Amino acid sequence: MSTPAINSLPTVEAAPPPRQSFVYKSILTLYRVFAIVVLYAILIGILAYAFIMGFYAVNTTWMAPVILSASDEKSLDFLQKLVTSRQMLQDLHVDILHQQTTLDEMTKHRAALEALDPELQQAIARERVHDQKTGPQLAGLDAQKQTDNAKTKAVLAQLDQTEVQIHKDLANGLITKGDAATQIAAINQARDAYTDSRIAEVLLTDNVLDKTTNGTKSMDVLEKQAELRSEIAQLDVTLAVSEKQLQEDNRQVDALRAAIATARQSPYYLNATGNNRLYFAFVPYENQESAKVGAPIYDCYLDMVLCRKVGTVKQIFLGEEDITHPIFKTQVRGFTVQMELSHPNSAKSKTVFLGRKPLLF
Amino acid sequence: MFLCLLISVVKYLMGLILKWSFPSAKIKKDYTWQPTVSVLLPCYNEGETVYQTIESISRSNYPAELFEIIAQDDCSVDDSFEWMQKAQRDFTNIRIRTGRNGVNCGKARTVCNALQHSEAELIISIDSDCIFHPDCMRELAACFSEPKIGSVGGRVGVRNPNDSVITAIQTIIYYSAFQLYKIPENWTRSVCCISGCLFAIRRELLLEIEPAIRGRNWFGIPVNQGEDRFLTHQTLLRGYGTYINTDALCWTTVPTTLSVLFKQQLRWRRSIVRDLFYTLRTLPQHVWKLHPNTVLTLVLTPLGAVVALLVVVTMLTSDPLAWTGPMPLVTYLGIAAVLSWVISKHSVEETLEHPLAFGAYVAWSIVSTVFITPLALFTMDSADWGTRTKQEITTQEMDTPLVNSGN
Repeated sequence: MSTPAINSLPTVEAAPPPRQSFVYKSILTLYRVFAIVVLYAILIGILAYAFIMGFYAVNTTWMAPVILSASDEKSLDFLQKLVTSRQMLQDLHVDILHQQTTLDEMTKHRAALEALDPELQQAIARERVHDQKTGPQLAGLDAQKQTDNAKTKAVLAQLDQTEVQIHKDLANGLITKGDAATQIAAINQARDAYTDSRIAEVLLTDNVLDKTTNGTKSMDVLEKQAELRSEIAQLDVTLAVSEKQLQEDNRQVDALRAAIATARQSPYYLNATGNNRLYFAFVPYENQESAKVGAPIYDCYLDMVLCRKVGTVKQIFLGEEDITHPIFKTQVRGFTVQMELSHPNSAKSKTVFLGRKPLLF
Repeated sequence: MFLCLLISVVKYLMGLILKWSFPSAKIKKDYTWQPTVSVLLPCYNEGETVYQTIESISRSNYPAELFEIIAQDDCSVDDSFEWMQKAQRDFTNIRIRTGRNGVNCGKARTVCNALQHSEAELIISIDSDCIFHPDCMRELAACFSEPKIGSVGGRVGVRNPNDSVITAIQTIIYYSAFQLYKIPENWTRSVCCISGCLFAIRRELLLEIEPAIRGRNWFGIPVNQGEDRFLTHQTLLRGYGTYINTDALCWTTVPTTLSVLFKQQLRWRRSIVRDLFYTLRTLPQHVWKLHPNTVLTLVLTPLGAVVALLVVVTMLTSDPLAWTGPMPLVTYLGIAAVLSWVISKHSVEETLEHPLAFGAYVAWSIVSTVFITPLALFTMDSADWGTRTKQEITTQEMDTPLVNSGN
């Protein structure tokens, strides 16, 4: 290699190919047959896969049957909630009835109390008018009484001398004891009458005071009036609260009734309460146009070919559902329909089609 | 499956760590050790490219008196042989010998035929469509100063990174494979596949392996593909070390069209599967003789390619739209952003104009895994190279009429 040079090498003849044994040839033949089968199977599989993907990407009539068992968790949960709602509704009804009765009672009581107020006012007025009339009369009589009593008092002073004289006469034997006792008793009677007269005077004065001034009696009446009004006001508050509570309860009842009505429109309600086997299917929103009550349902082999009519759409439920796409395995939003199936086995298919056969055969 | 994926990720991470933190993972090169070298250049239907390849070797800074080129044409149906002879006449500063096979017999046997004419200490087998860095030969030879090193490879860069999305993808794959993925194998001197683009091996070792290369067959059908993987594997089994010297650089033109890439990848996948079967058949021998890292790489890496098929099939059936989600795309775009930045810093020639084109690797990885692996598994009897068309070229179509000047 020390001198650069141009060299051409002799042509190399190829070695003869190794002889293949019979065993090798047989293995190779088997391998090739197997390889062809597998590769064609893979090719067909890939093409079928691509076709299915494309088919479900553009198809707008498919829906996925859903089998709800009686012990379905969602149905049971739904049923439990429904029972609870109904119980609540019943409780609310009882509560409303009770409140209504109480409210009526309170309204009546309030009306009675309110009716008392003018009567009381009238009584007070009447009494005032009467007092105004009788007050001066009594005052006059009181003055007359005082005058009379003063006169009586003067007469009683004379009776004291008379009594002394009686005792003197008795002592002197001028009169008998019986006469003396009779005379003294008469004097005491006069004194007693004077005392009564004095009492009557004081009472009369007191009475005059009552009738001519605002005394405690009138204050008591006013207090009674205030209590009456307070009680009416309290009743008003209670009535207002009760009415609000009643309204709230009524609203709750309406809401519960609406919820129960909606629940009756749910497949889970039907599934939980129905006696017969019911068939449902999930329809993605993309295929909503195809979902109509009475629309025919087709079930197909290999999820797309050789289709046959297996029933119709019986009912459409508007509540939103989401499921995993049977082919793409992604979450899909949509709604549920109830199927009327003549071939119940179609409920077990991965997909069925609405309206028409997806590939026209 | 998970283990295979984990090992791939771990290998890249280990490559990164070893590259940055363990200079001892690199081989000790002795540039004063300059053995005689024969550059074997098997050629089939390369046309003018073979001339450019020889031209690039002629610019090598390895002492001209210490190396020669032995160019062997494998019965090209184009003007490749004429271009080889033209190079022979034009580059007189180096010794070039040209030869031709009697019949077309594939790259591996063409290398063996060329080997018959070599007496050098070191053989460098190269692809006839590669362009070599002037330091390449020197770098490869320097690694053989370690006596236990049997084969050394270089880094293969992409000449046409911006030709298409496909070449952009391959640029990133090639770069990460040589700069990261193979580094842990380098660490234990047990690279499991040295690229046939640039493959240096001791001549005595190659002569020892040659009968095995010539005798390679699959149930009696001669095997022409995957000679690089086979050679590397045989080197390891004979107790020698293998190494990739990323400073030894050559440039290759990667496929620009999907069909050519598909055929190339199919050929590679066949050789991976064949190598896996061979490893499994002789597993005890491997376990006793080779470093555990080597055994793991030889078993799990190709197994990963087979298992990936199951992963993708499972994914497509259980969650068909998963691969259309943002995660794979974001992952690959992230890899593209990082690696393209690294490439632009450290290998300016391979700078990508549109690095985010690597996002298309999501689609390619599906195609590659779903189609190539089963096709490779069931076409093991195919000897088709795939990327070299057997087209007839008339003399009128040649730009320059060449004269065979062989003496």
